[in-house]
Amino acid sequence: MRRLGLAALAALAVVALALYPLEGTGYGVRVMLQLFMWIALAQSWNLISGLTGYVSFGHVAFYGMGAYSTAIVIVRLGWPWLPAALLGGAMAMVLALVIGWPCLRLKGPYFAIAMLGLNEVLRVAASYFEGLTGGGLGLSLPTLHASVPIYYAMGLTAAGVTLLTYVILTSRFGLRLMTIREDEVAAEAMGIDTHRYKLYAFLLSAVAPGIVGGLSARDQGYIEPISVFPLLMTITMIVMVLFGGKGTIWGPVLGAVLLFTFQELVWARFIYLHQLLFGAIIVTVVLLMPRGILGVLQQKYNLPRTI
Amino acid sequence: MTIKPWRLPATLAVAAVLCGALPALAQTPIKIGASLSLTGTYAKLGSYQKEGYELCAEDLNKKGGLLGRKVEFAVYDDQSTPATGVRLYEKLITEDKVDAVMGPYSSPITEAVANVTEKYKKVMVSPLAATTSIFKKGRKYIFMVISPAEVYLEGLIDTAAKRGLKTVAIINEDTLFTKSAAIGTAELARKQGMQVVFQEAYPKGHTDFSALLTKIKAVNPDVIAAATYFDDAVAITRQMKELNVNPKMLGVTVGGDLPEFYDLLKQNAEYIYGATQWEGALPYPGQREFLEGYKRKFNREPVYHSASGYAGCLIYAEGVKRAGTLDADKVREQLLKLEIKTAFGEYKVDQDGFQTAHKMVILQWQDGKKVTVWPDELASGKARFPTPAWNQR
Repeated sequence: MRRLGLAALAALAVVALALYPLEGTGYGVRVMLQLFMWIALAQSWNLISGLTGYVSFGHVAFYGMGAYSTAIVIVRLGWPWLPAALLGGAMAMVLALVIGWPCLRLKGPYFAIAMLGLNEVLRVAASYFEGLTGGGLGLSLPTLHASVPIYYAMGLTAAGVTLLTYVILTSRFGLRLMTIREDEVAAEAMGIDTHRYKLYAFLLSAVAPGIVGGLSARDQGYIEPISVFPLLMTITMIVMVLFGGKGTIWGPVLGAVLLFTFQELVWARFIYLHQLLFGAIIVTVVLLMPRGILGVLQQKYNLPRTI
Repeated sequence: MTIKPWRLPATLAVAAVLCGALPALAQTPIKIGASLSLTGTYAKLGSYQKEGYELCAEDLNKKGGLLGRKVEFAVYDDQSTPATGVRLYEKLITEDKVDAVMGPYSSPITEAVANVTEKYKKVMVSPLAATTSIFKKGRKYIFMVISPAEVYLEGLIDTAAKRGLKTVAIINEDTLFTKSAAIGTAELARKQGMQVVFQEAYPKGHTDFSALLTKIKAVNPDVIAAATYFDDAVAITRQMKELNVNPKMLGVTVGGDLPEFYDLLKQNAEYIYGATQWEGALPYPGQREFLEGYKRKFNREPVYHSASGYAGCLIYAEGVKRAGTLDADKVREQLLKLEIKTAFGEYKVDQDGFQTAHKMVILQWQDGKKVTVWPDELASGKARFPTPAWNQR
């Protein structure tokens, strides 16, 4: 009965979100579109870092990779935006394969630093290969007003990663990943090919950032190296997941919704206070509830792992 | 009838609000929206622009407002990111329903938000976007105020060519504005018959220029043109002294015009050429009024970002006055044919809203003061040429 109620509630939310662009203002659609983007990003970071414990400090690299791949095929080859964004996802996955293969053998802080470096390298590369990327001039996409279709694409991507997380968490694959997180040596001793499974998780966590990177590039109409590889974006993803509850299904969604809404409501009025509060949230979460909101609720009310 | 105790104050409050609102309703102010970078990378420059807007509104209101209505600015912070800027212009236009918009700070953000303002057919005068491509994409409602990046160093090249100098080395920070400036400078040099013997970019935030300067020293150019922001301009000058790289002329784009440039470099700033969109000392109409008003309101000297913001807003207001309405298409028509001189200099645009009349000026540091040396009609002194050795400055 409770399950049925939840399902009905979820269906209602989906219908409401699907119909929203008919009613909402241009601003409302943009806000929701960016909220979807953050959900997809936070959820993707959760896939690798929340599940396996491998902290990726450069996840925005996949976002930037997607943004550039998409923008390049749109500008140079005249592709329509949807296949272009999907290509962005694929390219991000290719990048994840190339980087993850060697780097996932690194442990702890070394992996985090390697990922941080990857982001910097890509930004410099985007500046350097001018012929392709426009270098410091950036890439200016032809004008197109497609906020509403992009809204749906973004929403589907966010829903897609969330569903993917559910599937993984309830599968043997998910169990293996969590074993790696808890004790990698023990996992290996039990016969789990840890490197292979980490790589799978890493590949899956790169797709959605690639796609949303592409969609954002198309929506904004202009990208430059600095604006698509910002470290701050990775940090925001991490904070959202930690705040909502890492390693859970709904934690990243909750974290993204709460923090993004908070940001949207507060920053316009108290621009300096807002940065201060953001910092305060990071410190509070790390000190008082390292497992995030859902983690705390899980413990207190004995909720199932697959929440 | 008994009045419940809470009702009385409530009724009074409603009455007070109504009384206050009634005269205002007859004359609702014209609300102009903008998002500016008040935090993040461009925080300082964005705030200067905001001051320009505020002063403009104040001056307009002193003279009876616009179309008989008061002018008010609604400004949000875009955190120096294009994505936030886009969202904010959507908010200003679709939720706050502002009567007009003005441009944000910087080229990248303008490039992104112009898609929104075009979609809703809002005229946007953009006082601080200097990149040509923004205005050459077939957009209809966007107007440029400052000179494009490409001509920033026109005066340096022009002066050099007239002195018979032959070779130039060009370096730039690798971002939209500085890169466009470097490309434009190279083109101008070639047009003047000079030879570009060296051209290279360095990444944003670069601090060690010794490798770059050593390479330049090897080709020994007559002129070094550097498309810079502030920090790199200072570092390049310092390291040129250390490595004793001594061209006959050294010019920088942004940074060389700021008083801090001299404060940090002292006598090493002497003889260096800077480029600027505007100087307080230039004889433009309304200049004195602007300088005095600014000093009174903000208690310091303005920089060109404030002047350009101020002038951009006045230009928009002039367009509205001539059109006699806020209607975007009619205002656009007026702004396209408007020719006006403000405290910021000349304004005239082509059919794309691209600025064609505004003049850059080149200045040189002489005995701790900025002296305008180009163009001739605005010059306040003669350029000191050639540059002596580093130990003789």
